[in-house]
Amino acid sequence: MERALEVRAVSLRFGGIRALTDVSFTVHDGELFSIIGPNGAGKTSVVNCISGRYTPTEGRLLYRGRDIAGLKPNARAALGIGRTFQNLALFHHMSVLDNIMVGRHHLLKNNFITGPLYWLTPARSEELAHRRKVEEIIDFLDLQAVRKAAAGTLSYGLRKRVELARAMALEPKLILLDEPMAGMNFEEKEDMARYIVDLNEEFGMTVMMIEHDMGVVMDISHRVLVLDFGRKIAEGHPTAVLADPHVKRAYLGEEDEVLIDPDESLPRPVEIG
Amino acid sequence: MDYAGRVARADTFPKLLRLNANEQGSEVALREKNLGLWREFTWNDYQVRVRDFTLGLVEFGLGASDVIAIIGNNRPDWAAAEIAAHAIGAMSLGIYRDALDEEVSYLLTYSEAKLVFAEDEEQVDKLLGLADRIPHVRHIVYSDPRGMRKYDDARLIFADDLAAKGRARATREPDAYDKLVDATSGDVVAILCTTSGTTAQPKLAMLAAGRMLRHCATYLAFDPKGPADEYVSVLPLPWIMEQVYALGKGLLCRMKINFVEHADTMMSDFREIAPTFVLFAPRVWEAIAAGVRARIMDASVFKQWLFGIGMKVGLAALDRDRRSIIAERLLFHALRDRLGFTRLRSAATGGAALGPDTFRFFRVMGVPLRTLYGQTELLGAYTLHPADRVDPETTGVAMADDIQIRIDEPDANGVGEIVVKHPNMFLAYYKNAEASQADMRDGWLKSGDAGYFNKAGQLVVIDRINDLAATARGDRFSPQYLENKLKFSPFVAEAVVLGAGRDYLAAMICIRYSIISKWAEKNRISFTTYTDLASRPEVYALLRTEVEAVNATLPSAQRISKLLVLYKELDADDGELTRTRKVRRGVINEKYADIINGIYADRAQIPVDTVIRFQDGTTQRIRTTLAVVDLRRGPTTIQAEAAE
Repeated sequence: MERALEVRAVSLRFGGIRALTDVSFTVHDGELFSIIGPNGAGKTSVVNCISGRYTPTEGRLLYRGRDIAGLKPNARAALGIGRTFQNLALFHHMSVLDNIMVGRHHLLKNNFITGPLYWLTPARSEELAHRRKVEEIIDFLDLQAVRKAAAGTLSYGLRKRVELARAMALEPKLILLDEPMAGMNFEEKEDMARYIVDLNEEFGMTVMMIEHDMGVVMDISHRVLVLDFGRKIAEGHPTAVLADPHVKRAYLGEEDEVLIDPDESLPRPVEIG
Repeated sequence: MDYAGRVARADTFPKLLRLNANEQGSEVALREKNLGLWREFTWNDYQVRVRDFTLGLVEFGLGASDVIAIIGNNRPDWAAAEIAAHAIGAMSLGIYRDALDEEVSYLLTYSEAKLVFAEDEEQVDKLLGLADRIPHVRHIVYSDPRGMRKYDDARLIFADDLAAKGRARATREPDAYDKLVDATSGDVVAILCTTSGTTAQPKLAMLAAGRMLRHCATYLAFDPKGPADEYVSVLPLPWIMEQVYALGKGLLCRMKINFVEHADTMMSDFREIAPTFVLFAPRVWEAIAAGVRARIMDASVFKQWLFGIGMKVGLAALDRDRRSIIAERLLFHALRDRLGFTRLRSAATGGAALGPDTFRFFRVMGVPLRTLYGQTELLGAYTLHPADRVDPETTGVAMADDIQIRIDEPDANGVGEIVVKHPNMFLAYYKNAEASQADMRDGWLKSGDAGYFNKAGQLVVIDRINDLAATARGDRFSPQYLENKLKFSPFVAEAVVLGAGRDYLAAMICIRYSIISKWAEKNRISFTTYTDLASRPEVYALLRTEVEAVNATLPSAQRISKLLVLYKELDADDGELTRTRKVRRGVINEKYADIINGIYADRAQIPVDTVIRFQDGTTQRIRTTLAVVDLRRGPTTIQAEAAE
């Protein structure tokens, strides 16, 4: 399998804080790859390094064999890396359609000089072609009914879906999803899992996903990477990862750890008499 | 347009399609909204798709008297598949798209369907999940390739590939299709139409194409339509009325049939087309009216005032059989535009009673609403209000003189069973001579409905004869009639009236969540879930006043004595309602036996501990206590419950 992304010995420091220490892994073409780990383990930091919001302090990032560590986020997007955000980053007063259209910005050839000459330049035909692509994504994600609604008026689950739509509009080869199911109810999660699998299988996108819902991760991922305190503690097939003692410790705590009995901590009634 | 003359020239669907393609080939026949745009299909396009499907079916070795099933959303391919089935002399069988495994496997096995048009992944998944329970199915044709990559089943074929096979044959034998169409006969069975089956497995009514089209011609003569008319196809296509509108009438009068993009976009697509005719079930009309009222509750004070004035003036004018210009300008024009009713020239409801208030609401708005009545076996509607004599209490008059309606064994008030005969009715039930025998008498169909003719000669339908019930004291009543009266309240979504063989009547009510949740917000009543809201004492108090208002219009023997609000909505998937949302009493009596016995054991509180199964297979345990309100006692009980 072709290597879509190679992360080689990446470390990231903010002053004295070591967000990532010597993290290495490879994502193959066509894979559905998940990163899990407790809060503050450095999952989002990895995604931010790849999408270009952070620059790793040490190590190399190779996208299809090319070192991208020095490239700006927009240049990485042009190479085919798309992402969604953990906390929603939509334009609240714009329609769903326009929000998704923004995702195609880097693909638009017309600029602010040719744009106003709409009828004379290819701007019109270009817009029609892009609109078609956007409509295909709307159809894929079942957003038809909210196409013209302002993004800010939608439910949280729907907004998450619009975010995914915008990332898809970029037509990325590698899509980074930062907690696509956070804050969703069961039904929304199930739909989202379905979309992610289809994204991977039907659209052939390589997916790298951060997710907390272990059930979903184990169900749909091909491979899983586990981070804890900025270090990689396991990588591999979901079932193998679940059985790993390091992972158990990170998630369930040390075996000899004393658990506090909630009843014990309550003040006991004192009998008078 | 000479409808009957057209049927005389072309008495099957494919013949009529060919006639239209030859005479008006470049005219728009169908539209479908896809990727945000309305895409048009001319009569030529329509016929090419049908021809390709037809010859594709021939390539598969299918032919006369085979059964071809169709399941999926209303789409051009659905209609094309049906006409193609008729073109090879096969019988088409539409299956409701939300039918569950049991029903699908029953229908496919009973009819021995050899090929199924299954629209998309959802339907294909359902069929493949049935595995060896559908042994007769040799081919499954899908129109939407999305998500199909993962299946590896020799029976599957993409609709475009089927069409390509057909097209190749059409190139080899250019007159093959025409020969097939020439060979079709309007006298043989073309459609197997499922009957709604409130009691048991659906029966299949055998309908001949020629009779179907002649009945459509009768209907059109009573309520004329033409090529300038627009129709939006949102009723389920397997249902007889949608067969009449989207296929029969569409082909006969060439009105344009529009298919919406998605179930969720129905209302906005509807508005974009602004159809000239619409048929909705009473509950849809009620939901629209309730939606308007709910939005007005949320609107600014000025708009609320405008709505109040407009309705008042409009209703006053309606009482004098006139229309108020002021109300029209101020309110109704905008309201019709908002609902997509601007071009409506004819509108209908049927299947159950529609509340007189809702009826007036639409009449005053300028929606020419009428009631129709019919059965699958009689090719759908055969009575309709004459445009100038609309009475919400009745279902109108027979559409033509050759439709004979009789009341059998009338009682003192003239109420008896409605028995009907007309020249275009069904032939018999498919492979079920016993049922055919039972429902027919000398060529007359026993409708099983109780009804009578009023003084103006219009037919009044009360209820299913079998559903008339009697209390232990021998007072006859119609639960459905009472339930409908209760459902006229905007706060009541469903109601079940009990009392057969008991001492008094009681009602189990499901709240209309969309309205009551708004009402609760407005009145600062906090709640978490449906179950929680339904158990609020304030909600009980509200429903009590609603039931008391209904009681005030009824004779004392028909009054509801006890009221209980259910913790969940009744659902067709749980078998509690039919697909057309009629109450299945047997299921309810069994499922809620504890609650019902509790009511009649005179208990004020009934504990419930049950498990609800959702569509996705997950379950949820519900533990709550249902209060029973005795309406014969004063409202003090409510206060006591509220204090608990």
